[in-house]
Amino acid sequence: MTDGELPEVSGYKRSHVVVSAVVGIAVALLSVWWAQGFNVFYESLYRVNPGTGAADGIGADWVAGNSIPALDFLIALIHAADVILGLFILVLVFLHWAAFRRLAGKMRQPGERSTDAVATDGGEPGGDER
Amino acid sequence: MSNLDHGKFTRVTTTFHSLLALDVFLLFFSGYAIMFNDELWWLMELMGGAAGVSAVHRVTGIALIALIFFWVVLQVISPTGRSNFREILPGKGDVDAFIQDVQFMLGRADERHPNARQFGGYKADEVPLLSYVGKGVVFIFSVELTLLAVSGLLIWSKTGLAALFQTKAAAAAFVTFHGLLGVIMLMGVMFHVFEHGMHPAFYPVETKAFIPRSLVPERHGDDDPETTGIERLTLSASWGKVSTVFGAMTVIGIVSVMIGSIFDEGYPVPRELAIGGGPSNLLLTVGINIGILVLGIGLVLSMYGNVLRLRWERQLEEQERTGGEGGDVGTADD
Repeated sequence: MTDGELPEVSGYKRSHVVVSAVVGIAVALLSVWWAQGFNVFYESLYRVNPGTGAADGIGADWVAGNSIPALDFLIALIHAADVILGLFILVLVFLHWAAFRRLAGKMRQPGERSTDAVATDGGEPGGDER
Repeated sequence: MSNLDHGKFTRVTTTFHSLLALDVFLLFFSGYAIMFNDELWWLMELMGGAAGVSAVHRVTGIALIALIFFWVVLQVISPTGRSNFREILPGKGDVDAFIQDVQFMLGRADERHPNARQFGGYKADEVPLLSYVGKGVVFIFSVELTLLAVSGLLIWSKTGLAALFQTKAAAAAFVTFHGLLGVIMLMGVMFHVFEHGMHPAFYPVETKAFIPRSLVPERHGDDDPETTGIERLTLSASWGKVSTVFGAMTVIGIVSVMIGSIFDEGYPVPRELAIGGGPSNLLLTVGINIGILVLGIGLVLSMYGNVLRLRWERQLEEQERTGGEGGDVGTADD
């Protein structure tokens, strides 16, 4: 019988897997080492903001408001994406839920007797089981 | 039933899927214990407080970068990987599959489109490597994981935060951005768990992602079938109740984290002053916890899939030892 035969599968070569794993681990370690080393370049920091207001003085910007307006936009954008994609994902959930219920309806119900047994002489498939 | 449904992915792919799942689940548990701290305070306590949670998040973050680069390099350098690029490109069939799914839901189509079909059965030959949802998952996860890894690295160190963002508010805003990005994946993974856990023919878990192609017979007896053969399978007795409860949990989880993401942004100061920065709403707390429970069940199902693989391997070994007399190979894992 051919049913039980396992296929010959040409998957990924071991060497390719090893090379990829080494590169992956190396990149991960390097990127973390790189991120660890992010350092403050003090000349570029707003350390002194002359003035007498509440947000002025040494180190003022670190405690003042958002200095990167683009971030406001990014956050608004992601909020919108979260809601829009969230609603779409909900549509997919309901779509699949409904499809699953229909498919389940096509299946044999639990406890239902099998009917694809070979018919006996003069009988019909599954007739003997009734 | 046919086993062709199960034998789609290589062992490298199934192993990668399990590792990625474990890693992403841990990233979710640690990351959202921080972002949804009002609701998931217990999760943070469980992982050893703020220090423990950020340690878990960082270690799994490094692992995620390793996994991403492992996969990208493998897809580029190996012929098998390169030949897969064609398989993941969305086509007209995928749009048709979505439309036909809507029609199937409304009762206007008799079966799901091959590009949507999870259970191929006798007609498994018509079913592509990835369904339209599978392709969407690959694309969205690729974009999300890249953005999350990059933004995660940018907030890795405090000095880096100070240098890159100049102000506390901007730094907090970027951390918020990182957290909000992940919400899309958080909701997507809940759906993914439902989709592959509650299919009536595969309930409680679709073994496709766990049992590699090399262990699954590729041929079956019926040569010219008219249907997928799903009508010959018996529905599990618990499917009705469990799928209803789990479906409801999935919907509640998705809705809750979606609502939570709007309020729990923590930037630059919460819009309304409340302890912890979000609305201390009991319903939302319950809902987000249900969402986390859905993910927890996903993690358990992923492990169960691997248990099934081990059992299947053991059964195949057993049959080899007894010279293949052990009976029908094709019925063991369902």
